[in-house]
Formats: sequence, C-alpha cells, structure tokens
Amino acid sequence: MSAPLLEVQNLHVEFDTYGGTVRAVRGVDFKVEAGRTLAIVGESGCGKSVTVQAMMGLIPMPPGRIMQGSAKLRGVEILGRKTIEGREVRGAEIGMIFQDPMSSLNPTMTIGDQIAEPLIVHRGYSRSKAWARALELLKLVRIPEAEKRAKQYPFEFSGGMLQRAMIAMAISCKPTVLIADEPTTALDVTIQAQILDLLKDLQNETGMALILITHDLGVVARMADDVAVMYAGQIVESGSVDDVFYRSSHPYTLGLKLAMPNNDPGRHDTLQPIEGSPPDLFSPPVGCAYAARCPHSMRVCEARSPEQFDVAPRHYSRCWLHHAQSPHRADGLFLGGGNE
Amino acid sequence: MSDLSSSSSVTLSADDFAPLPHRDDIHGINRPSRSYWQDAWRRLKSNRRALFSLWLIIGLLAFALIGPFLWQVDPSRQDIDQISQAPGADRSAEIVPEYTAWDGSVQPGFESDATGLRIGADANSQSVRLIWDAVPGANALRLYRNIFPIDGELAFGLPIAEFTSVEAGFYEDRLDLRPDTYYYTLVSLDQDMNLSAQYQELAVDVRRVITLDEVRERELVAPDVELALGDEVKLSFHPFGTDYLGRDILARLMSGARVSLFIGIVAPFLFVLLGVAYGSTAGFIGGKVDQVMMRIADFVVALPFLLFMILFQVVFGIGPGESGILPMLVALILLSWPATARLVRGQILQIRQEAYVSASRLLGAKNYYLVLRHMIPNTLGVILVTLTFAVPSAIFTEAFLSFIGMGVAPPTASWGSMSNEGLATMLTHPHELIFPAIFISLTVLAFNLLGDGLRDALDSRMRSLE
Amino acid sequence: MWQYTLKRLLQGVITVWFIATATFLAMHSVPGDPISGERAATEAIRANLAARYGLDKPLGEQYVIYIGNFLKGDFGISFTQQNRQVNDIIREHFPVSATLGILAVLFAALGGVLWGALTAIYRNRLPDTIIMFLVILGISVPSFVFAALGQLALVNINNFFGVSILPVAGWGTVSHMIVPALVLGMGTMAYLTRLMRSSMLEIIHSDYVRTAKAKGLPAERIFLKHQLRNAILPVVTVLGPAIAAITTGGFVVELVFAIPGLGRYFVQAVQQLDYTVIMGTTVFYGSFLVFMVILVDLLYGWIDPRVRVQ
Repeated sequence: MSAPLLEVQNLHVEFDTYGGTVRAVRGVDFKVEAGRTLAIVGESGCGKSVTVQAMMGLIPMPPGRIMQGSAKLRGVEILGRKTIEGREVRGAEIGMIFQDPMSSLNPTMTIGDQIAEPLIVHRGYSRSKAWARALELLKLVRIPEAEKRAKQYPFEFSGGMLQRAMIAMAISCKPTVLIADEPTTALDVTIQAQILDLLKDLQNETGMALILITHDLGVVARMADDVAVMYAGQIVESGSVDDVFYRSSHPYTLGLKLAMPNNDPGRHDTLQPIEGSPPDLFSPPVGCAYAARCPHSMRVCEARSPEQFDVAPRHYSRCWLHHAQSPHRADGLFLGGGNE
Repeated sequence: MSDLSSSSSVTLSADDFAPLPHRDDIHGINRPSRSYWQDAWRRLKSNRRALFSLWLIIGLLAFALIGPFLWQVDPSRQDIDQISQAPGADRSAEIVPEYTAWDGSVQPGFESDATGLRIGADANSQSVRLIWDAVPGANALRLYRNIFPIDGELAFGLPIAEFTSVEAGFYEDRLDLRPDTYYYTLVSLDQDMNLSAQYQELAVDVRRVITLDEVRERELVAPDVELALGDEVKLSFHPFGTDYLGRDILARLMSGARVSLFIGIVAPFLFVLLGVAYGSTAGFIGGKVDQVMMRIADFVVALPFLLFMILFQVVFGIGPGESGILPMLVALILLSWPATARLVRGQILQIRQEAYVSASRLLGAKNYYLVLRHMIPNTLGVILVTLTFAVPSAIFTEAFLSFIGMGVAPPTASWGSMSNEGLATMLTHPHELIFPAIFISLTVLAFNLLGDGLRDALDSRMRSLE
Repeated sequence: MWQYTLKRLLQGVITVWFIATATFLAMHSVPGDPISGERAATEAIRANLAARYGLDKPLGEQYVIYIGNFLKGDFGISFTQQNRQVNDIIREHFPVSATLGILAVLFAALGGVLWGALTAIYRNRLPDTIIMFLVILGISVPSFVFAALGQLALVNINNFFGVSILPVAGWGTVSHMIVPALVLGMGTMAYLTRLMRSSMLEIIHSDYVRTAKAKGLPAERIFLKHQLRNAILPVVTVLGPAIAAITTGGFVVELVFAIPGLGRYFVQAVQQLDYTVIMGTTVFYGSFLVFMVILVDLLYGWIDPRVRVQ
C-alpha cells in the first residue's frame, strides 16, 4: 500500500447567497493513490464538484469561502497555493476536465492554441514547439487529422471530439492527478464509452491518479478502484469499489443502488426511487442529513450527526447503525447481505 | 474524523435507537406558490432603485398634471421687470417718480472732485446717467457697455453711443437696464475713427426701481395698500427664476412636462401597440404573409431614425398656428414600430412551438383563444419592458428635435425647446438651461431604472448581470 | 466570407435606394410645390431649379431625373445659396464631421471597453459603484446637455486659470477637437460601458474561463486572451447603431461648439428649409450610416471565427 498521492482532510466550503449562507461542503476527507481511480458519487447539488473545485482554487471568492480543511499533494499543502516545489498546481500537477466540453473551451481560440497554452505558460515552450506537442497530444487522444483539427475552433468539433481535446489539454503538462468532473454526462452513450476507455488507457500509460466525479453508478463500476459516496456535503460511505457496491453499509448507497436500472435478466423488481429530496443546505440538519429520507432512521439520527465508523478495513460509513450499541448492527442488511 | 474506529466516543441509550415514524413532509421544501405576476411584483418591490424610480415617475406625472393647479402662473406671460432672473435673486424694488428727461446736470449729492468717466445721478434701472470731462488728443469718443469687467483682451462689449465732440459731455443710458453691475468704457477714437489705446472705465451698480403706476398696473400689492415714493415693494415671485423673455420657468417646466411626457408616454404606447398587432399577426399567420410583412418592417428599420424624424418634421412639421406635437407623434409612431414588431413576432414564433400550445390546439382551442390565453400573456412581460425602455428614447427624440428647432413651436414649451432657448444665455444665466436639462435627465433616468427593474422582475432570461 | 460580403453590400445598395426614394416621396408630399411656397428663393434660383429638376413634369419623371442625378453622385444645388452645389457643401463640411465622429467613436469604444471591463472585475466594489453611477447619469443626460455643460466647464476652467487652456468653440487644431469629441462620445461610452460590463460578467463566470484557471494560466493572460476578446464581441455588434447615434449627436455638438461640420450645416438647412440641401444630406448621411453598419458587420465577421468560417 503506497502513501496517498493526494489527501483531502476535513474540507468545509460555504457560499454566501441572497438567501443566506449555503454550507455546500461539510467536512470531506478522501485519499487518492498514484495510478488508482477514485470515483466521487452523488446526486446533483451534493457538493462533489464544489469539493474538487475548492481544492483547485476554482471557486469564486467571494461568494465562496473555504472555512477549514487541508488538501495535500505528496504531503505538501496546496489549498490557497498556486505552486508547490516550483511547479504550478493547476494545469501542471493537477489537470482537470469538465462536464460540458462545448462551453468549457474558448470559442474564439483554435483548439491547437488552447492545448499549447499550458505548455507555453508552464514549460516555457516556444510557440512552434508547443504547437508540435499539441499535435502529438491530439494524436494521443485519437483525434484524426490532427494538423487540420488543431487549426479549427471549438464550434467545428463534435462533443466527443471536444472532450478528447479537453483531455489533451489537461494532460499536456503530464499531471500526477487528473480530475474529471462528470466528463461524459453531456455525451452520447457510445461516445461516453470511448472517452472512458481513453481515460483508462491514458492512466495506464502515465500512472497518474484519476478522480472521477459522476452520478452514474455504471461509470463507477467500470472505472473506479475506490468510491466515495457523497450526500448533502459529506462523504457518507467510502471504500473500495467492491466494498461499497457489494457490501454497502449506508442506507443512502443502498437507496442509490435500488434506484439504478439493472439489466440482470434474473432480476424483475421495479426501480425504487429514494423518496423526498436532499435537505436545504442553508440550514443543514443537526443530525444525519439523510435521516428524513432514510427507511431505517432512529431517534439518534435526528439528534446527532453520525460519526465515521469503520465497517471493515478501509471501508467507512457515516451511519449510526454501525454504532457499537446499535441493536440493528448485526441484522445483515448492510453488511454484505441483502443486495446482489 | 481522525478516529476511524467503530468504538464511538459517545455512549448512547437504547432509546436513541428507537425507530422514527415515517414522515410525510420529506417531499421537498414547501414554499407558498405565487403567480407569475405576484412573483414579479414582489421582486420589483424588493428592488430599491426600481421602487425609487417608480415614485419619481409618479412625482413627475403629478408635477405635470397637478402642478399647474397649485402654481397658477401663465407660462407665456412675460414679467418684463425680471428678465433672465436666477432663482432666489433679490426681488425688491424701490418706488421712484416717473421718468423725466435729463439735461446733463449733476444731481445733488453726486458732485465729486473726481475726473473722467463718472455717474451724475443715482444709477437705477430707469436710467444710468454718465458724465465725463474733456478728452484731449482724441478725435472722437465712443461709449461701450459690458456685463463683464474689461479684461486684458479689451473686450468693451456693446457700443451704445458715439460722440464727435471730445469736450466734457454726458450720456443717459436707458437701454434694457437690469439690476446688475455694468462696466462702461469711454474709448478715444483716432483720426480714422479706429479705437485707440486710451480709454476710461467705470463700473456702475444698478439698483432696481419701479414707478407707482407700474406697481399698480402689475398688481404687485393689494389695491388698498397705501404706497409712497421711496417705499420698497417686492416683484412677483419666480421660484425657478425667469427666462430670457421674463417668463416664469416653473410654470414653463410644468407645461413643458405635459408636452414632453405626453410625447414620451403616448408615442411609445401607440407604437408598441402597433408593433404588437403587426408582429403577432405576422408571427401567427406565418408563411408568405410573415415574409412580406417582415421585409416591410426591415425597410423601415433601415431608415436612419433621427434623420427621418427631422425630414418628417420639415415636411409635415410646424405649420401656422400649430404646436408641432401631432406631427412629431405621428412620425415617432411611423418610424418606431418595427423593433417591437420584430420582437413580438420572434416571441410568438417561439411560443407557437411550445408543447402547451400544441396541447391546447389538440384540445380544440380556437386561434383567438390561443392568442389571448397563451401568446399575449406570455409576451406581456417582454412588451412591458420594451415599452418602459421606449419612453426614454422618445423623450430624447422630442428633446433633440426641439433643441435643433424642429420640435414644438413657440410659444409652446417643452423641455427640449426650453433647453434650446436656454443655450443662448447659458454663459450668463445657466439656470435657463440647467432646469429643463435636469428634468429631462431625471425622467429618462427614472424610466431607465424602472425598465431595468421590470426586466429583472419579469424575465429571468433577460436579466442583466448587475 | 466573400459571398457574405457581397450579399451585405447588395443589401446596402437596396437600402440606400429605399432611403433615397423615401426621401424623395417625403419631400414631394409637401402640400404645394416647395419652391413656390412663401419661403421661396430668388427668381434666378427658382428658374434654375425648375429647369434642373423638371418641376413642371409629372412626379414619375421627376423621380427618374432624381435617381439619375443621384446615381451620377449629384445631389443638386442649394435653395438658399445661389449656385452652391450640395456636393461642394458635403465635400467641404463632411471631413470636419467625420474627424469629430471618428474621435468620438474611438473615445466611446475604448472608454466603454475599458470602464466596462474594470467595473466587471471590481464588481460591487467602490470603482464599480462610482463608474456605474456615472454611467447611469451618462445614459440619462441628452447629448446637447453634455455639449452645453462641456462648454460651460471650459469657460469656467479658462476663466479660473486666466488663460485659454482649450478653445471654447471653433475648429482647426487638435485642441479644438478634444472637448467636443469627449462630449459627443459620452452617452455612447456610457451605453457601451454597461454592455461591456454585463458581457464581461457573463464571461467571468463562463465555463471556459474556469477551464483557463484550471489550466493554471496567469490572471493577465486569462484577461487578455480569454475574457477581453470574447467580451468585446457584443460591443462590436452595437457599434453600427453607436456610430449612427454619434453622427446625429454630432448635429447638436457642432451647433453648440460652432464647429463648421456637415451636421451644423444640415441643422441650419433644416431651419432655413433649404429642401435640396436637406434631401441631399439626408440621403448622403443615410448611405453613410448604412455602409458603416455593413462595415461593422464585416468587422464582426472578421473577429468572430464562428461567423468568419461559415
């Protein structure tokens, strides 16, 4: 087991809005190791994008605010810093790609120029050298006719092609961590698979860590080594993909799984939506944020915010059901049984 | 969070683990539902600038409509005692006898040892009586009057008299005297009657006087009040001063407000109405008719707006005995409707595509019902915003045309024509320009702010990033 | 792009024809014949005009003569000044108006972009509050008030220093141009500032600026390469109407500052009802504005690749 490449601890992020202060991220911890893929899963608005954007310093401040917490890359704090060990954090150490490639690229700049830009800025390449490297990168992400394509503008590309160009741009400086924020959400299903394969291949070639943010459990199953499930600004369950999927130990994870379509021919049960909606993060509940929707909720769930319990080695859950005194603890619903 | 063990730091009781009853209120956040217009009104009310502008507009309307009843002064009546009077100026006048001709003799009390140009009698708004000694070496003399001190550039001002005799002489100035300081210069002329460098200067403070008959005639005091020579009376009160013809500026601003606001509000209302009718017809019928109708609108849009406004005013403008308001109104409507028509047509075309219109049609709704129930209400917000922003531009247009003398005809006042008249006396009496200019700016400001507020309140898609 | 240019030019020609026709019709709908009215010119001019325009002929023929002359670039002769060609008037006075207008447009565009970008960056802070307050004033104050206030300020400044810092009126040197151009561009600058600010705010929060930040680009580079260029696009689209506003605003500024430009001449002609000069200058100004709008469109096509490539 290698030391974590990137470690985030107790991250709190708030936003001031007209309606009041939104506590978007409320104490998030996770670790990523080199060469591995961490998937952060959760529904819209749970704070998964805010978490990584806060880490990257992409949150507009104001209205955003990082209240506390730390993010360490190879043991060096990166929160609020632009460079560590002489290297730029953003764009060089950590690359990032976004959900909607169409709006995430500058409409009035050629694709080639946009890919070459980090090389010129971070590596001090000349324009021609950067351009040559940009062509190589375009070939690397399997864009045909790279020479011609590099001179084109984003509006001349298809969505899948643009996402490839985004990836080329993000890996141009050989980052050690690549963050992909819902990279396939805006794309067709067939293109999604291609992009995911490309990410996997690039990861295998370069050994970089990948943080994949998604709400699609199918993508998680396909890509991830480790999973962190987020709900209402907190990570409610984390562990290896097998632990979280097959030994789900948080009612929310279980709810997500039951709500997911399954093409297993032996299964005939209907999809079960999670009733209700996430809590208002203007005034998060005192207790467990999921308590109101949870079929297993207990008195303590409303009164106290659950601590993080070890379910198994490297498998954690934030649910009172795992408390030593909990009478429901051993009923086997979460611990390996009940599902699949 | 550092303690990652399942042995918790807290000890809980068995009661804590009792299950919670199922709750029904988990289906989202319950907020009271409001209609679109209620919501828009609430947003507008919370916008302080929009609310302020709304009050300002109400105030301006009251100024135009109610003002003339509270300040009953005829806007075209001239107060010849107070020409170009600044607001707050001294209005007192001393009663003096009727004017009698002067023979050049020095009035008792004005004898002096001084030589050169001097006054020979009390200087008042009836007359300024100047006397001077012989000017040796000059061929002739010319008397000038100025309202500014004679500076290094020797601008003497208005030549008022010329004398071939260079002996001691006298002159009585009765030309349009105001209570002010006048600078008289007596300049020596050379053989060719050109100005020489030799001149004598005199500053005279003129006092305002009035005769008893004038007091009675202008009804400055009640008829039963006894008056004697030397008494002081107050001339009529003009809170905003008077213009170059002695007309009360407040009264003119009020009557000008009627003209400016009439054109500013009625013209946009009518051309927006025309545009809505035209645009919704084109959008609703569609096809060839739409093509032709919009091509016509394109041509009108292509006309340079102000140039054609001017052209229209030249052609149909001010005839004898007309105020010029109606031609301006017609021209504004004829040239301004296409913008609204285009906008409304676009909206209608968009709404026609919406599923709820298809659904309504499927349920058997007639065309007029579709238009009245779906199309008009859904475009009303956009139309209202357009209307609000059309007001400032109409007011600007009226002011611009009146300013270049192509708007309303005198004696009708509008804020634009008042600014035009004020321009001539801008350097000496800036209040004649500044007051109408302030009113134009305030009105335009108010409608612009209200338009911003309405846009923010009515349509989040049109919302500006403020 | 060439096809687009050609198409726009053709549209422009048709629009100019429409303007010329509308002007002709407007002028001929004056009740009675414009020359024999009470404001009539001298006998000599009248005879000259009648011969030149065929005023005794039917309207259709007059129109043909008019369009024919117009195609030859001949705008006719003045009503009020004997033997003065409208062409000569335009040739003599338009360069003055154009110089003033170009200065004002430059001032308005540069100022608008600069202030707009600045207020967007300092959104809701002191510089933004101050500039946006001035902008609201600038939008609400008519151009002639700016002109008058500008002149009043000049007089007072000159009086205060006891020497003439800048001339109060007239034309000729650069020092004559500064204040009129500032005054003329003021309203448009306020409008462009507002537009630039909202455009810039939208772009500051755009996804591609976030991408640029994620790439670790320095703030200056993000500003210049990613924000400014994209934020200017909407400003360029309204330059056409802005030029029109500055052209007509020039009428009053020239009037107030006694600048011998075509605008002042036009206003004087309007006041004297010099019909041929009004017609000539209207058509001239109309054509000028139409082609300026086309020029701006082409410029937009050149800086926005989405238009250029298609």
